[in-house]
Amino acid sequence: MKGLFSNRVVVAFLALPAIALVVFAMVVPIGFSAYFSATDWAGFGKFHMVGLDNYKEILTADPVFWRSLLNALILMAITIFIQNPAAFALAAVLSHVGERFSRSMRTIYFIPAVLSLVVVSKLWVSIFNPTYGILNKVLSVAGLKGLATSWLSNPHTALGSVIWIIIWQGFGWALLFYYTGLMTVPKEIEEAARVDGAGWFQTYTRIVIPYLFPVISAVIVIDVISCLKQMEMIFLSTAGGPGQLTQFIAVYLYQKAFVAGQYGYGNALSVLFVITAVGLTILVQRLLRTAPEGR
Amino acid sequence: MENRRLAAAIGKGILYTLLAILALLQVFPLLWVFDYSLQKSGDLFGPEILRLGFAPQWGNYARAFIDGKIPRYSLNSAIVVSAATIVSTLLSFCLAYAITRMRWKLKFVAAFAVTLGMVIPIHTTLLPNFIWFNVFKLIDTHLGLIIPYIAFTLSFNTLVYSGQIRTIPISMEESAFIDGASWPRILWSVVAPMAAPATITVGVMTFLNNWNEFIMANTYLATDELRTLPFSIIKFQGEYSSDYAVQFACMFLVALPPLALYFIFSKQIMAGATAGAIKG
Repeated sequence: MKGLFSNRVVVAFLALPAIALVVFAMVVPIGFSAYFSATDWAGFGKFHMVGLDNYKEILTADPVFWRSLLNALILMAITIFIQNPAAFALAAVLSHVGERFSRSMRTIYFIPAVLSLVVVSKLWVSIFNPTYGILNKVLSVAGLKGLATSWLSNPHTALGSVIWIIIWQGFGWALLFYYTGLMTVPKEIEEAARVDGAGWFQTYTRIVIPYLFPVISAVIVIDVISCLKQMEMIFLSTAGGPGQLTQFIAVYLYQKAFVAGQYGYGNALSVLFVITAVGLTILVQRLLRTAPEGR
Repeated sequence: MENRRLAAAIGKGILYTLLAILALLQVFPLLWVFDYSLQKSGDLFGPEILRLGFAPQWGNYARAFIDGKIPRYSLNSAIVVSAATIVSTLLSFCLAYAITRMRWKLKFVAAFAVTLGMVIPIHTTLLPNFIWFNVFKLIDTHLGLIIPYIAFTLSFNTLVYSGQIRTIPISMEESAFIDGASWPRILWSVVAPMAAPATITVGVMTFLNNWNEFIMANTYLATDELRTLPFSIIKFQGEYSSDYAVQFACMFLVALPPLALYFIFSKQIMAGATAGAIKG
């Protein structure tokens, strides 16, 4: 019977098609990227090998690259320290109200998460629009007309507005993750804490949150990756502007290759992007794995 | 006693109302789009936040439907996304079975690669695929979109399936073997039915994610006749740049299919959404 599950022909039939597809659509392209990143190709015509010049330029002389990483870090910080706690608090409240009401609320809060990025970005571009957008109208009704501006092209508000769109769409996800996590907390440990005289705040900070640490760290890892990967929302709202202030790395590499005609340079950005994504994920996972043991 | 019960009821009422208001705020942008999509474009510049009591301009929807080429683009989306969903579901089921049940040398490498696949951004293949896919004349074809749609959903799907297959008692497969069943038969009639909940989750999530996918479709497809649904919004923006009401109608039409799918399968979607986090 043991030999049955090590039948090589069966393994090959089951695993090879998927592996072949991944090699074809992910591994080989990234290999190509690595090759072109060492060239000065414009996307057409002849090109020369330039070694690591593109990388050198990106790391030492390209402020837009660092701006893109900084924007991703800002987004991560807001996601982890503002959106996640808010979603957690709401999830906690929803876990204590009637099941039917709670379910319908959760269904509604999650609606933005199932909409396509094109719809979401165009929706918010319209809301932020200075001539017919609803945000300026609301401000003027509230007597705050002085705050009205063209949100996505004003250098002071552009990044905040873009981040708001991303946070709005991601809120349903965070809520769902935490609600699902909270449902796994055994009712007994919460009750035991209460019997021992703990208030709700203590129950949460001392019992529930430590219990949910694996869930919280999983959500943080997902957040970090998704913040770094942001592309379509920026591409369709500000395209990185004004003046590269809202630039993210995926948008930047796309524009370099397809708009600025620096295909080789764009590929070097692309390779750095893969390295950053994988490296950051491993780093965050390490950090979170050691954290609870340290206490 | 009476008073305390009354206070509790009032507190509960206030809490429920607050939660409901928050929910309303969350979906308000959609309601606003719907409201504006039924107006005359010239009326959108007034100071009113929501305009009620006007004659709804359903013609906006007719124009969005026809000029936005919604039937054509929807058909394209349906073709590409259905093909990708069916193949991705099938391949991830097989790979998950090979990783969770079978014994082979490179199994751990494969399992690690699956996890890694969750991290690789699709955007890093946008530039090289333009050259690589062109070797096989896949640029500007539906197949050129279907292949990456499958590849980039395999990791998540394999994780979901692995979780489910692990819960199936292995003795089921073993006794089927003793009865003389073949491998394809065991996978199809023993394992697959037991993994049905995962199949629904995987199927719905793959469909939804690929249905909403934009950047690969926008990059690889140049022929208008081949483009997928999200593109109709972009198209409108260019051609009807001042006709906002029709643009809004178009946005609402594009948002509708995923919303319908969501309301039918909300349970599976919510289960599927968290499946990745549980595995971490």
